[in-house]
Amino acid sequence: MSNTTRPPFVPAHTLPTPGSSRKHILAIDDELPILELLQEYLKAQNYRVSTATNAHEAKRVVEAEAPDLIITDLQLEDTDGLQLIEQLRIMLPKTPVILLTGVLFDPHVVEDNLKWKISSYISKTAPLQSLVDEIRRHIGR
Amino acid sequence: MSTENSPPPVAADPTMRRVLACFGLILAVLGLVVAVSLNNLNRTVATSDWVNHTHALITELDVLQPTLAAAEGGLSRYLLTADQRDHTAYQDKFAELGEHTDVAIALTAGTPAEQQQFQQIALLLAKRADVASRIIHFKKAGDTAALQQLLNEDAEKYDHRELAQLIEKFRSAQTDLLSARDRTLYLQAQTTRWTVLTGLGLDFLLLCGAAWLIRDALAARTLANRLLQQTNAQLEEKVNQRTAELSASNAQLAAQSLEDRWSKQALEHQNRYNLLIIDSIADAVFVVTKLLNVSRLNPAAIHLTGLEPVELIDKPLARVLALEGGKDPAKPNFDPLARTLAEGHELRDKAGLLTTKGGQSVPVRLSFYPLRDRDKVVGGVVILQHSAPAHP
Repeated sequence: MSNTTRPPFVPAHTLPTPGSSRKHILAIDDELPILELLQEYLKAQNYRVSTATNAHEAKRVVEAEAPDLIITDLQLEDTDGLQLIEQLRIMLPKTPVILLTGVLFDPHVVEDNLKWKISSYISKTAPLQSLVDEIRRHIGR
Repeated sequence: MSTENSPPPVAADPTMRRVLACFGLILAVLGLVVAVSLNNLNRTVATSDWVNHTHALITELDVLQPTLAAAEGGLSRYLLTADQRDHTAYQDKFAELGEHTDVAIALTAGTPAEQQQFQQIALLLAKRADVASRIIHFKKAGDTAALQQLLNEDAEKYDHRELAQLIEKFRSAQTDLLSARDRTLYLQAQTTRWTVLTGLGLDFLLLCGAAWLIRDALAARTLANRLLQQTNAQLEEKVNQRTAELSASNAQLAAQSLEDRWSKQALEHQNRYNLLIIDSIADAVFVVTKLLNVSRLNPAAIHLTGLEPVELIDKPLARVLALEGGKDPAKPNFDPLARTLAEGHELRDKAGLLTTKGGQSVPVRLSFYPLRDRDKVVGGVVILQHSAPAHP
């Protein structure tokens, strides 16, 4: 499902301008259109957004500037999203992680099996506003 | 191009017409004041010239008698002393008397009455000069008898009061004229003063009248200006409010657009994922409608039947699949799959026969599951597994 054709305004991973007072969010997805939409929408909500299409890029962003919140898909180019979450948890144990995926989970499965790994689960079929609401619940505006 | 809101022309505005009339009157009064003042100034200048002329004439009249007396005194001293210095003094005085006489004649030349009046004085003076000349002549000639006779005759004939009366009369007339001119000058100055003051007063009143005429217009303009400012402020507030509403609407539209794109993206992703799941199944999967027509199949089904999707989609499943032993010769139209679908039951691991594209019958294991949308059966899913031959 990876898309190797990248539009020029969305690099493989983008780093925010250091020193800005806006909250920093790292979005990880292997589909660039999804990243584009997320970046555009969250910027309009006054967040700084870094993007990564794989685990390697995500770690580079985290090392450059720790995000206030991480949004990740389940399916990535080079690893499983849950595995990446475990690795990022080691690096940033207190940073909230939202799992944003098109893979439909049974809510009970999420509650029972994933609650220790992720802070929230949002289906990609849900409106973007619900994602923003969840972000605000974790890190505010 | 005129519009309904364009202001009326100045000439059509009654207030402006009245104001213009006031300013016209003001200009006329100012012009009249200037004309009268200039005329009075000219008359004053002329009167002043005449006064200077009269003063000069009086001055000349005043010196005539003393000069004559000095000259005749010098002549008497010369007769007594025969000193050349006395002769020179007497000559100088008579010369001076002549100069004064000439000046006075020149000053009276412009007025015939004065000229005639002074002519009498000049004649008497000339006679005195002639007598003196004759006395000197006899004196120088040493003719004592003739000299004595001339002196005696002169003493009898000459009355100096006649000359004094003529001069005094002439001087008195000039003094009276001078007084009259002074009064005229005063009256002219007063006239000029009152003309200017009256003009200024009239102009002031006219200006007040103009101000009174335009006061209503000024008040109306002030009110209109205030109303215009209030209207502008309200308009600006409405524009700002509308701009804010438009900005909010734009932001909302942009957010909605992103939501729509997101929904579309999520739906495509979900569809792709669903297809991926079905297509990844190694067993042949047929999705059928309530009439048991094929609506969808996976690559394994295509591979198993050897038929292209276009040859199967919207075609009866019975064309390629039949339950083994499902046909009842007594009921040729009976279809067990249709009955199962109608009843909403499942079939699991049933034997069936698949007809391939080449017409070959392939034994398969068949499972059938009805598709339920809430409580209604809308179709079914058939899963086929290639049946291993019982007897190789």
